Amino acid sequence: MVSLEFDVLINALPQLLRGLENTFILTAASLLIGSIMGIFMAVGRTFGNKIVSTAIYLYEKIFRGIPLLVIFFLIYFGLSQIGINFEPFVAVVIGLGLRSAAYQAQIFRAALNSIPEGQSIAARSMGMSKVQSIRHILLPQVLRLSIPGWSNEFTIVLKDTSIAFSIGVIELMRQGRYIYVLHPEMILPILLLIALIYFVLVISINKGLSVLEKKYRMKGFDLTVDR
Amino acid sequence: MHMLEVKNLHKRYGASEVLKGVSFTMDKGETKVVIGPSGTGKSTLLRCINQLHPPEKGQVFLEGVEITDPSVDINKIRQKIGFVFQDFNLFTHLNALRNVSVGLEKVLKMEKEEAEKRAMHELKHVGLGKFAERYPAELSGGQQQRVGIARALAMDPIIILFDEPTSALDPELIGEVLEVMQSLAGEVTMLVVTHEMGFARNVADEIMFMEGGCIIESGSPKQMFTSPKHKRTGEFLGKIASLYGEE
Amino acid sequence: MNKKSKSMAIFSIALILIVSLTLGGCVEEENKIIVGTSADFPPFEYISEDGAFVGFDVEMVTKILEDAGYIVEFKDIAFDSLILSLENGKIDVIVAGMTITEEREEQIDFSNPYFEADQSVLKKVGGNLNLNTSHDLQNYTVGAQTGTTGASWIEENLVDNGSMNVDDFKRYETYTLAVLDLVNGNIDALVLDKPVAESHVKNQNVEIVMTIITEESYGIGVKQGNTELLEKINSGLATLKDSDEWDILILKYFE
Repeated sequence: MVSLEFDVLINALPQLLRGLENTFILTAASLLIGSIMGIFMAVGRTFGNKIVSTAIYLYEKIFRGIPLLVIFFLIYFGLSQIGINFEPFVAVVIGLGLRSAAYQAQIFRAALNSIPEGQSIAARSMGMSKVQSIRHILLPQVLRLSIPGWSNEFTIVLKDTSIAFSIGVIELMRQGRYIYVLHPEMILPILLLIALIYFVLVISINKGLSVLEKKYRMKGFDLTVDR
Repeated sequence: MHMLEVKNLHKRYGASEVLKGVSFTMDKGETKVVIGPSGTGKSTLLRCINQLHPPEKGQVFLEGVEITDPSVDINKIRQKIGFVFQDFNLFTHLNALRNVSVGLEKVLKMEKEEAEKRAMHELKHVGLGKFAERYPAELSGGQQQRVGIARALAMDPIIILFDEPTSALDPELIGEVLEVMQSLAGEVTMLVVTHEMGFARNVADEIMFMEGGCIIESGSPKQMFTSPKHKRTGEFLGKIASLYGEE
Repeated sequence: MNKKSKSMAIFSIALILIVSLTLGGCVEEENKIIVGTSADFPPFEYISEDGAFVGFDVEMVTKILEDAGYIVEFKDIAFDSLILSLENGKIDVIVAGMTITEEREEQIDFSNPYFEADQSVLKKVGGNLNLNTSHDLQNYTVGAQTGTTGASWIEENLVDNGSMNVDDFKRYETYTLAVLDLVNGNIDALVLDKPVAESHVKNQNVEIVMTIITEESYGIGVKQGNTELLEKINSGLATLKDSDEWDILILKYFE
């Protein structure tokens, strides 16, 4: 049966929080890379020429189609075969970031496509260059529209950081493992505690994004969609 | 020198030619209205003028400068051509004031304060001073279109092109927009594509009847309504007029 | 598209900067050795409550390498990634309760054996497991940790020759999870390295019912061809085994 030694759980917390720190940094850095790349890719695919567009399309297909573990291995081990060496932490960030970019590009592109073309035409008609219209008229709307999808992506990246251990990055899951290896009779409570930590993190970020979304919502936007 | 000169414009979409050699001129302060059956290239004409859809053949001159010349900076030219759209095309994420001021700020490089002051002035001009903080979704169709007009006016254009500005409006809202347009007549050079015969008759300096990609006939409202030269013109005007209950 | 190419240029420069910063890495200390292990295998290697690497393997290899004049740093990596990490120069040495096998010898070089082990078969106390020979396991659901010799034994002796259904063989990332399943009744038996099994039965309601004699031994791994380091390790190991410290270490971790 499972025994509930609460002091084990309490003592485990500092160790778990150390792992959480890594989990959090990994998530944040990867999402940042994913977002920046994602926006360029969404714009590139919508407005770029055939070559750019196809290249991005292929990138998306590849990185959405390969398991994350394989991506990590290719970046960490595969690249070192040709002399490019990354620290495991960096390799994870790159791997997560590149993959997140493929998904975020889709989110941004969907948002971009949902903006009626008439607005771009109006922007061009008043003398804005293509870049200006993208920057001042389209992107502000894309970012607002993407918040729900992005929020979802955050959750996914956060949970995927638990694979980081495969190339040696100690994040929350691995820290948890150290503890239940020492206290195997407490596996379930420890795992529940870890689940709780992930859960709290996800809920708070989602709530934060929700607040952001409300603040920047284009007033009555849902009403105009059918126009 | 004419303000606007359109010479022999040809435009084709795929296999069909939509504009088959359209020519006319406009002088400062003139209001010209283009009427005709749908699909005859009226909207295309407007979009050819501001080069949104560049014509295959023909030239457009704005204040003597040929804007169909590929070496010209079309973005700079477009600053001088206002455009009011059938679907308003307001920027959803900006309130009315910002919709009007964004062009001033980002394209004309005005200081934000100055731009907003100017924008407010134009909003008041179209009767929407109190609605400056409202977002497009919070405005009626007529109000949105008036913001669209204010947005075009704010850029201080040489000419404003109106592409069926009231066609997407509920009947009771059409009036407020036409009123604004009427108030501009004489001060602002306007080229208007519309089905509003009342407006054409009362405000236009000249009416151009287009069909099949050509201007069939053009003349003063009086001339066009009472003694048109072409049979087709009379047919069309008669039909439309009776539809709208006017004679 | 001037502005766009400008921002692309900035972006690429930033990317190149980041990449080169990470590639630069830290200055390699000449006498630092990075030891790779998979710290979830007590009593050989695990993490103490204050986050330090502890265990028989940890202390043994630290002693050997420090005596040879090296500074030792441990890295915790998934067991399955250890050999890859060694081959790619991410670590210099492997110590992870790793059994010397022919397959592994094709990829890395092992030191002389430092520990002998057999495989234990564990069952839940009060559980239903009747074995006359080890091959009777084919009638039950059996688990093992992936990549271990226990897992290989089951595969080679029971699954590959068809006597056991492949669905009855369950693999786990860590044996601790396997023990949990054993206790919950999802598997009937667990095959695990004897020394680890023995240290485990003390705190759980599982018991060892049989020993499968495999006569395997653990070795310390180095990159293939790294004979200089290998010699130092072997001589250090021999010295350590001869000394009292070895017995103290065994007592400490294996009682």
